[in-house]
Amino acid sequence: MKSRRKMEPPRIITPSAGKTSFPDVVRLGNGVPVYLLGGGTVDLIRIEFVLNAGQIMEETHMAASVANAMLTEGTVSHDAITLNDLIDSTGAVFNHTAEKDTASLVVITLSRKLEEVMELAGEVLFHPSFPENELRMLKEKKIQAFLTGRQKTSVIGREQFYMALCGKDNPYGRITRLEDFDALTSAVTRDFHSRFYRPENMYITVSGREPESALPVLSKCFSGSCQWHKAEIPQLAFETSPPGRIFAEVNGSVQSAVRMGWKGITRDHHDYHGLQVANMILGGYFGSRLMRNIREEKGYTYGIHSVTGAFHGIGFIVIMTEVANEYREETLKEIRKEIAELRINPVSTDELQTVRNHFMGEIARMFDGPFSSAEAVRGLIDYDTDHDYYSRLISTIETITPEKITELFNTYYNPDEAVEVIAGAK
Amino acid sequence: MLMIEFKRHTLPNGLRVIAHHDASTPMVTTDLLYDVGSRDEDPEATGFAHLFEHLMFGGTDGVPAFDTPVMMAGGENNAFTNNDITNYFITLPANNLETALWLEADRMEGLDLSESRLRIQKSVVTEEYRQRYLNQPYGDLMLLLRPLAFRRHPYMWPAIGKDISHIEKADSRRVKEFYHRHYNPSNAILCVAGNVHPDQVFSMAEKWFGDIAPGRRIIRNLPQEPPQTERREITARRKVPAAHLVMAFHTEKRESRAFYVLDLLTDILSGCDSGRFPEILVRKKELFSEADIYLSGEIDPGLVIFSGRLRNGADISKAEEAVRDELDKISTRQVTAAELDKARNRYEASRLMSYVSAGNKAFNLAFQELLGDANGINTEIERYMSVTAAEITECSATTFRPGNCSVIHYLPESHEE
Repeated sequence: MKSRRKMEPPRIITPSAGKTSFPDVVRLGNGVPVYLLGGGTVDLIRIEFVLNAGQIMEETHMAASVANAMLTEGTVSHDAITLNDLIDSTGAVFNHTAEKDTASLVVITLSRKLEEVMELAGEVLFHPSFPENELRMLKEKKIQAFLTGRQKTSVIGREQFYMALCGKDNPYGRITRLEDFDALTSAVTRDFHSRFYRPENMYITVSGREPESALPVLSKCFSGSCQWHKAEIPQLAFETSPPGRIFAEVNGSVQSAVRMGWKGITRDHHDYHGLQVANMILGGYFGSRLMRNIREEKGYTYGIHSVTGAFHGIGFIVIMTEVANEYREETLKEIRKEIAELRINPVSTDELQTVRNHFMGEIARMFDGPFSSAEAVRGLIDYDTDHDYYSRLISTIETITPEKITELFNTYYNPDEAVEVIAGAK
Repeated sequence: MLMIEFKRHTLPNGLRVIAHHDASTPMVTTDLLYDVGSRDEDPEATGFAHLFEHLMFGGTDGVPAFDTPVMMAGGENNAFTNNDITNYFITLPANNLETALWLEADRMEGLDLSESRLRIQKSVVTEEYRQRYLNQPYGDLMLLLRPLAFRRHPYMWPAIGKDISHIEKADSRRVKEFYHRHYNPSNAILCVAGNVHPDQVFSMAEKWFGDIAPGRRIIRNLPQEPPQTERREITARRKVPAAHLVMAFHTEKRESRAFYVLDLLTDILSGCDSGRFPEILVRKKELFSEADIYLSGEIDPGLVIFSGRLRNGADISKAEEAVRDELDKISTRQVTAAELDKARNRYEASRLMSYVSAGNKAFNLAFQELLGDANGINTEIERYMSVTAAEITECSATTFRPGNCSVIHYLPESHEE
């Protein structure tokens, strides 16, 4: 019998990232930009409304997330129960979240229900009523989630790292305290909403089979007048902690969250793309140095990852993992060892080629289908990134050399500058 | 209604192959489903199927690291194990499909089961156990529920295993036996979905899997769970900020009418914000901060599980009574036409959402084939749409009997009951 081991393995075709072009944009009568992403096989349409209404815009901590969560808790025309019943009866899904930099409402609906669903979306975005009773219940729920978070090593580890990176008064670094919930009155929430949930402060992405068919409905529902100027992103002050160890005790935990990181670069920096490739080698995919060493050779963890990213005004590099309490020092030592190795020895061409191909496949998956493409494009719009971001990233992936990668590790990965966070049992 | 078209072909060695052509994507997903889950484990060696899933990434003589060629081909891959099945999937550019098939065939036959590999993956799984179940507030709820609800059927332990010590004790003799018994064409279903023609899929499958020895199809003879006649209850105390209530009821197997009836019913009760539980238990009575009911979804008779986080200060017995009231209501009075209509619309939309990605379609086709016929992916719609209000009442009355209930009162350590 012939064995597969005697058969020639299939020839691998170098993957290409495929089409990553920036979508067409049209404007509603009032100037709201609408990005159209066509394709797919099902009669669903996804509409995302993105507003400059994230945490960086807030004066009162958590105002952004509470204003966003309250969108479906009642409007001037419908109480919470009736409103939700109307939405759910259409079969549509309304997902609304406030993040650090933006807030959004994603609606996925059967194409034939688009009109009634968009009328509800307009009501939810621009005419919520912020009823006191619903606000009280929401706050109680958020407090419960906050207290549950105090038991999670991963949550504490993340908070401590971003506080050390950005400062305790910076919106990216601020850690929620129980007393912060007291300030969240309906007046604060209303005020935040009236300032930032405005057409001039919003863009829309439409993805699905025939996205342009949604335009008449969008014009009808979202062409309200624009009077104010777009809200400016505030200038943020950063106060980065000096290098060193931060220990946060989480009583009785069987694992510790370990975070090691430092300041990086923002998206407009010429090394940002190259850094994505370097980071992938260290800890950005399953075959990364860290994963192979700390999971697949030592078995200390279920997973370890390295991330390089950026907010407005600050970039960061962070390595994160959850390990048994007894392995945490050893894990930190091994992370340092892996970085030191990459600072000295250039990666082999085989390893670099693997990372290149994997990265191309990843980009191809990001743009696979209209819904994923809409998510990928959002990242570009939110950070005012050049429309050719992905084509430049692709060319960096294709041309970066092992020497350049060594140089990037020497420039940007210096564990002596690291903040090390351990959240776990003593 | 969207129909998912597919073709099916069984190789002479018993491997069932399904192909679905989706020209809208440049990618392709291979889904290889092995008909083995934690229900097939020895009660003294649980967690084995899942541990084995980890070993499947260890490489073979010919391919020392499974992931490297996948990454080289621009792919990503992963796997999961549950009580019924172990499922492996690779998504990669369609023109590299053959690489995925080569790798899957290679590890179906020639896996490297070295001692050192086993030792490391035992440690990784132990950390997974800690990360997902022990180091999370409320993380052990399902570890508590299964042995309470099941006394004979192997669903009494979760896929991760009954206890970490079982994983620590796993030895290589057993690992090898397990591999030879379950990992063969007779016990596997391969589905390929994406930008490739079915004929090409079949010829590549023949080329790479065709000469693997068939193995023996496993015929199960699992201990059946006797009907539960008396309420069971346990109380657990943990370091958590709020109490949690779980109530679980035995139901029928996956391929029963009851499954579809209860799937729609649970959507009416808690599938969306306007469901009865969010409206009554969360908003009106203010007993819970979240209240959910869902089917555990196993192939053999499984559970329908109520799971609710209590509001601070709410009394757990009162909360349980309120859930009981709702279950009694649904068991005696028919749901309204509007509720049923809403559930049907929601089902239609969620079905379409699940077919946005070729990878999801691949898994669904393979799983339906395991249940008996891949075309279930299309005929299921009718099974959902034909559910009547009268059936819901009848099925609720049978399911939500007080004697058929296992209850967990999960309380904060300081809590006085």
